[in-house]
This record gives sequence, structure tokens and C-alpha cells, in this order.
Amino acid sequence: MASVEEVEKEAIGAIAQAASTADLRDAEIRYLGKSGLLTGLLKQIGTLPPEERKGFGQRVNESKDRVQSLLEARLDAVKCGEREEQYERERIDVTLPGMPVRVGREHVLQQATNKIKRVFTGLGFQYMEAPEMEQFKYNFEALNYPPDHPAMDDQDTFYITDDLVLRTQMTALQGRVYEMVERGEMTLPIRVFTVGRTYRNEAVDRTHGHTFHQVDAFMIDEGISMADLKGTLGLFARAMFGDEVKVRFRPDFFPFVEPGVDYAISSPKLFGGKWVELGGAGLIHPNILERYGIDTERWSGFAFGLGVERIPMLAYGVDDLRNFLENDLRFLEQFPG
Amino acid sequence: MKFPYSMLLDYVRTGLNAEQAGDLLTMAGFELEGIEEVDGEAVLDIKVMSNRGDGLSVLGLAREVLAKDPSAEPTGLYLSSGVPPVQNEVPVSIETEACTRYAGRLFTQVRNGPSPKWIQDRLVKAGMRPISLLVDVTNYVMLERGQPMHAFDFDKVRGSRIVVRSAKPGEKITTLDGQERELSPFMMMICDAERPIGIAGVMGGQETEVSDRTTTVLLESAHFQNTSVRKTRRALGLSTEASYRYERSVDPNGVLAAIQRFTELIGDAAQPGATTDLYPAPPARTAIRLRVSRAARLLGMPIAETDARQHLSRLGFEVQGEGEELSVTPPSWRPDISREEDLVEEIGRVHGYDRIPEALPHGSTTLGGPKSFEAWKDVVREATVRLGFQQTISHSLRDESPLDDGRFQRIGPRGISDPDMKWLRNSTLPSLADAARRNGGRDLQLFEIGQVFGKKDGQYVEYSSLGLLSQGAIQPEWWSGKAVALASFFTLKGALEELGRTASVDFVFRPPASLDPRLHPTRQAEILAGDQAVGLLGQIDPDTAEAAGLPAETVLAEVNVTAAYGFSKTGIQVREISRNPAIRRDLAFLIDKSIPFQNVSDRISSAAGDLMERQWLFDVYEGKGVPEGKHSLAVALQLRKVGGNLTDEEANQVRERVVAALAELGATPR
Repeated sequence: MASVEEVEKEAIGAIAQAASTADLRDAEIRYLGKSGLLTGLLKQIGTLPPEERKGFGQRVNESKDRVQSLLEARLDAVKCGEREEQYERERIDVTLPGMPVRVGREHVLQQATNKIKRVFTGLGFQYMEAPEMEQFKYNFEALNYPPDHPAMDDQDTFYITDDLVLRTQMTALQGRVYEMVERGEMTLPIRVFTVGRTYRNEAVDRTHGHTFHQVDAFMIDEGISMADLKGTLGLFARAMFGDEVKVRFRPDFFPFVEPGVDYAISSPKLFGGKWVELGGAGLIHPNILERYGIDTERWSGFAFGLGVERIPMLAYGVDDLRNFLENDLRFLEQFPG
Repeated sequence: MKFPYSMLLDYVRTGLNAEQAGDLLTMAGFELEGIEEVDGEAVLDIKVMSNRGDGLSVLGLAREVLAKDPSAEPTGLYLSSGVPPVQNEVPVSIETEACTRYAGRLFTQVRNGPSPKWIQDRLVKAGMRPISLLVDVTNYVMLERGQPMHAFDFDKVRGSRIVVRSAKPGEKITTLDGQERELSPFMMMICDAERPIGIAGVMGGQETEVSDRTTTVLLESAHFQNTSVRKTRRALGLSTEASYRYERSVDPNGVLAAIQRFTELIGDAAQPGATTDLYPAPPARTAIRLRVSRAARLLGMPIAETDARQHLSRLGFEVQGEGEELSVTPPSWRPDISREEDLVEEIGRVHGYDRIPEALPHGSTTLGGPKSFEAWKDVVREATVRLGFQQTISHSLRDESPLDDGRFQRIGPRGISDPDMKWLRNSTLPSLADAARRNGGRDLQLFEIGQVFGKKDGQYVEYSSLGLLSQGAIQPEWWSGKAVALASFFTLKGALEELGRTASVDFVFRPPASLDPRLHPTRQAEILAGDQAVGLLGQIDPDTAEAAGLPAETVLAEVNVTAAYGFSKTGIQVREISRNPAIRRDLAFLIDKSIPFQNVSDRISSAAGDLMERQWLFDVYEGKGVPEGKHSLAVALQLRKVGGNLTDEEANQVRERVVAALAELGATPR
């Protein structure tokens, strides 16, 4: 019968020789298991004289603890080595390309539109749309264009019939909205904006197209002034182009505003420090308000327009308008959104 | 309006150089479009707004400089107010209301030759061609004072009289440019006793043109109504410096001053004679009430009464009254001013818009953003993007395409001959075909949502269309790729089903009531919402594919978004989810290929009843072991009970009911 010391020595040897977690598990079973060699020594306890039993049991248990802790230490070391091997086996080249995910994307003009819509929605402007094939009366007449006025020459119009044109300006929405106010379907004060497609019969080149997109925003409330217009435009321009953007007004003529201005923006870091014209604006012409029964002593309003294409042109340096409607993916994919 | 800077300095004394004056005019609303150095002198090119005809003259721009530059002063020329004595010796009669005023002066002993070099130089700088003394001086005065003038060779004027009247039917005139022009009765003509000798406000006639031999001249300086000139100009397609000014506005009170200036400039090259001036109904000049406080309120900046007064006076307005309420009469050259707000603009413009501070509107805030259809369209677009489609945006004006919708009558703008913009698209599919072709036609997932146009039942209509084009590999090829999924009728159908789910419309796909020739006749479906056809889906027809230059495996779909919106549901009613386990039962059976799967699926649903949570087709097989004309379908049923466990027995009963129901369709279990 082997002594505790002999069995322990053998167990220590086996642990030292173990090369894998499997060997160690075997050693654990062989020496420390229920019927392991060290545990097995305890069976001899009955054969010993009573005064030795306690001491023997103690020695076996102490020996088991020592073997156990040796085994655990060894297990840690072996496991660590095995993981190392596993890691090495499982090494990948992280510079291999990732799986190309087919992601749908919005067109760059849509992205600009979305941004515009977020800003105006935040300012409490309701978004509305009207037909692209618009009645002459909404495109011109309702907007205070005198009949046969040269201002209509500024915008060579596509006529479908005498009464139906491809709208030349998004301002054409205004008459429809004022009619809703007149009918009581909307009540003052109002804040409305629209974004959409406009058409003018112009020759196409890098900076001109017969089809382009515009924003038009207008509001009517008590005491609206040119300062409110400037402030709103400033807020809008800063949301689109950054915090340092400033707005400048210059007199201009549009039949539907009085006073009428064009507005330009500049920023120390953008556009080469120059003033860049963005669009037309002004206080809604009192003739228009009166036409729809709105009391101009109580109410006033502002309106402004802007070309959607101008935004990516200024922000990203797109210098050829034709790119926008040609759908070349080499162009569109440069704007992941 | 192009002119050498020295001409402006003839009218106003200012310390500004040409560039500064250009900037000042720009900030007054007269945009400096260009400035160039010609023969050592700056030439300004100013864009004049269409309501400011008075700005089409050096005099008009000088007024703007005087108003905007407080240190500027008028010159003697600006202030000169001489007019020729009027004797009305030349017989003139006005027979049309479109002629507001007609003045003419006779000049005798005329020696017409080249004009002085300084006049020629200035005209050349202004972009005009020197012709002869008489013509050059009329042009020069027009440039200076904005008054178009015309010199008739009076010896050729028959009956030595002038009649301003409408053209008679059949009358013709050969204009100075040598063109014979047929006249219409709405055109206003300058006539002698017998015939038209000039088109009023547009161009003179060749037969009375001045020449080197001219000795007697009648100089015309008149005012014609802008709408009449405009109508004539458009009908004849003949735009001149004169018609351009008349259309915008000419000062009716400036005609005599222009004759006076002509007389000064012509000097001793002609002997001035009698002047005739007919001004039957001078326009009434009405004073406008101006509340200074209202001007300040609308402009959003403080305006002092003295400032308002000064700005308006410097522009030539008569200001009366004291204090808050002024009475302001606009000058004769400003027909654009008719109400208080117009005066507010004048004050603001001169005071300086750069002084307006930024403020934000006070008052009640309204709910922003899109509602109803506009909001739903956003959902549709965003859902399509999420399905992996790239958005395209294309022209609505376009050429013909093999993908035009043959069942929606095409329309186009009038009078457009360019084939590339002759039509308005009546479908988004032609646009997508173009976009696909531009990008090589292969491995594309594209969509567009936009307006389409046409005529239906005699009515012009437009609606929002969603078009989808899918071709080739849906998953791009890559190094670890297994089988690449290819676009097919069913991949696009799956996308549309998912789209319908997101947009809350139940799309039903069924064989079309009538075939669309753009699509493969046996691979196309009609898309229904409710019981209305709202779109179509299919593989492109091989002939269409060839004609459109697209691969034959291209799959297309188009949905009338406007119509589909009517069937979108609002709100979600949540269903209770069972916490009990589900049981799956599979069944495979042989069935005639001619029976649409929809029928099979409907039968399964009604036979299985409430215990079936979901069914799905997981295999379709034909070929070896399957009789001709039949195919084998394998369907999985997911069964579950709410609030209790389903037993095997109950599941088997469901399966048996389904098998029995399918047997009625002629299906045999495998």
C-alpha cells in the first residue's frame, strides 16, 4: 500500500507532465476523483488504530488540497497556452474587405430637401404641396402679376394650355393657401412652406436648366416685419451652412412682395468670403393679402424662395447643374447621406 | 443698361469712383453686373428691374446716387428745366388711347453727317453703333434721359401731317431694318396723311428714314402705353431699345425736356422750328398717405420722420404734411408707386437694408411639418430606401421612350420642337430606364418617386408615381460570397410586399385584367389596393428591353402613389402574442401547375382556422418523379394557441383538415 507521500509525489509528477487540459482532467480524476488514488487512501482509515485516524485523515486532506491547487495553477497555464494556439489558428486578415451591404440611399437633392424640411418643421412651418402642372392664375395672377407684364418675360413659361403652365416658381402655392384661409379651412396666423420642382424654358448649360427645384416659405401674423424675415432667413442659413453665416438684403423686384429683396449670405470660412445670392424675399404684397380678404392693417407676412440645387452647389462644390438630374451613380454615390 | 461713367458724372457730382458708384447702385436695387475699362474709362453695366423703367437712363440712375449718397449733388444738367416753346403748328392727331402724349419739333436746314467724336465714343461704350448725327443724337438723348425719339425725314411725310392710329387691315410697313411687316389692327402706328411711317414705340419706317440728303426733320418724342407696345413687339418679334423702355415705363412728362436736350446737342447742324405737343389726358397724380410709424413697423427698424422725408425728396417725391402722417406724391417717372407699402420700400431701400436687425417672429407657433399625403409619401420613399434601392431624380420633360405608358395619353408643352423635351413623362419607368442605361444597365436597384402627367377622359391630370427597377445581383459580389441573389419578379415582389407593410397598404398581386405591352406577357402582375388597380409589376418584355437598350432580365414596377394613399390604413391595433409554444406541421403535395398558389394558400388559411399563426411555402419542385403538368409544393404551417398549449392531436387535426381541403383542389399528398 502506497503512502500519502508516495501518491502525492506521483500526482505532482503527473500534473507536471500534463500537456493539455485533457491530461489534467485525467490526472484530476486519477488522484482527486471520488475513486481517485489520493481519495482512495481514506478507505484505509478503518484499518488504522483509532488514535492515528484523525492525523491520517488530516494528512490526506492536506495532500489533496496541495495537489488541487497545483492542478489548478497548472490548468491555468495550460489553458492559456491552448487559447494562444486557438487564437493563432483563428487569425484573420482584418484588412480583407467587409461584406458589401446593398444600402438604399437618397438622391442628393432629396437629402438637401430633407434638411430644409427639418429646419422649417422646427420653426413651426407646415409643409404643403401643389401640382407641378399649375393653373395660370396661381402661377401669376394670384401673385399680383399685372396682365401682360414684362416680369413674366423673366420666366419663360412652358404652357400646356392657355390656362395651364408648368409652374415657374414654388410661390404658386400661395394663392391656393390664401384661398383656404378665405374659405376658413385654415386660420391666421399661418406658417407654410413647400419644396418642389419648377420649370422655365431656358437653354441648358452648366448653370442653367429648364427644370430645377425651389423652396418657398411664407408666414402671416400680426406685426411681421422685414426684421422677422431677416432673422428667420439668418436662422435658416445658419442651420444649412454653419453658425457664422450672415444675411444681407438688397432691393429687388418680385410682383408678389413689397418691399422686395434678394438675399445673400456670407461666412468668413465659406464661399471665398464673398456674398452669395440665395434667393428672393420680401413682405407679402398687400394687394395679394387684400385680394383674399386679409386686413393689411392687422396682418402682414413675409415670403422667401430659394433654389434647392444651390445648397449642394455651395456646400459640396457641385459646379454643373446637369449632374443633378442625370442620375450617374458615380455622382450620386458621393453623397452617402 | 450700359454707359460710360462720365455720363453719370454729367448729372451728379459725387466723390465716388465708378466701382463705388456701382456698389451703391447695387445696394439701391440696380445691380452692377459688370464694370470694364474702355479707352481709359470705366463702363458700367447695370441690371435694371422690370418695374423700374426710369432706371434705364443716366438721369434715373443719377437720382438713385443722389438719394443714396448724402454728399452727392446735382449738376446744372440735372437741374436744367428748359423746354421748347410750343406752337402746335405741325398738324398731329391722336386717334388711339394707347398714345398718351405726342410731341414733335421741326428742324430745317439740316446738315446730317457723322456725329461729333465724343458722342460716337460714348455711344460705342454704351454698346450702340454710331450711324449719323440725327440718329446718334436721338440715341444719346435716350441713353441720357430714357426718352426714345425718332427723326422722320419730313419731306417724305406725305401731307405734312402725323396721325397716331391703329393699323388698318392689310396695311404693311417696311421697317428700318429692311423687313416688310404685315400689320394687325391692334398695332399702334405713326402715320402720315396716307400710310404708316413707323410702328409706335418700336421702330420707324424705311421710307421716311433720314439720310445725308435730309434737310427737314420732324423729331418725335412721345409717350405710348406699355401694354400696347409690348403686344406689338411680341407679335412682330421685334425688340428694340425703344420698345424695351416703353414696355417698362417712360416718363410722360419728360418728352419736352428730351426735345430740348436734342436741340442743344444738335447745335447749329439744324435750325429748330415749331414744336407741337399733344397731351390729351395727363395722368392724375394722387397723393399717398404715409404713416412713418407704419414704415418703421414693416421695415423692423426705427425710421425718423426727417429721414423718411429726406429719402423720398431726394428721389423726387413731393412730401407734404408734418409729423407722423405725411402726404406723398410720386413723381411722373415712378408709375410703380401706388400705395403706402411702395413708399415704405423706397424709404427702406434708401435708408439701407443693412440697418435692419435680425429678429424672430413673435406670436403663436403652428404645428410644423408634413401631414396626410405628404407625410405618407415620405414613408413610402424612406421604406423604399430601406429596401436597398438608390433614389434617382429625373427630368419630367423628355423624349419618347419605349417605356411610355400606352394607356395614359401623353401631353407636352406647346410649341416645343426640341425632341428631348417635347413630352412630359406619363410614367416613371422611362426615367428609370434612362438612369439604368446611364449606369451600364446591370446590377442595379433604382427607384424614383415623382410626378407623371397625361390626359385621361379629356382631363389634364398629374399624380405621384413610384417606379422601381431591379436588375442583376442584389447582393454585390465579394470574396466570401456564396450564391449571389439575382433580381427577379419575385425579389421585386417581395420588396413591394415589404413596402406595402411599412406604408400600411395591403398590396394584392394578380394576373392583369389586360396586358401591359411593356412587360413580359406571362410574367406580369397587376397590383391592387382595396379592389383598385394601383400599379403593375413584371419582367420587361424582351422587345421593349431591346428597344430600351436594357438587359432582358430587368424587372420593373410602378405604383400610383396618389391612388394607393386612399387605401392606406391608419393606426395599428396590437394583437395579443401567445406565450405558449408553437407546433410546426409540414405538408408536401402534388398539384396542377395551372392552379395559382394564391388559391392554395387561401384554402389552407380557411381550412386551418384560428390555430394557424402563419403559413409559408418552402419548396416548389417539378421534374423527375413529378407528373407532367403538376408540381410539388411544400408548405409549413405554424400552429399555436393563445392561452394554452396546443396538443399534438389538435395539430394533427388541423393538418388533416388542410389536406382534405387541398384534395378538393386535386392535390395529392406526397
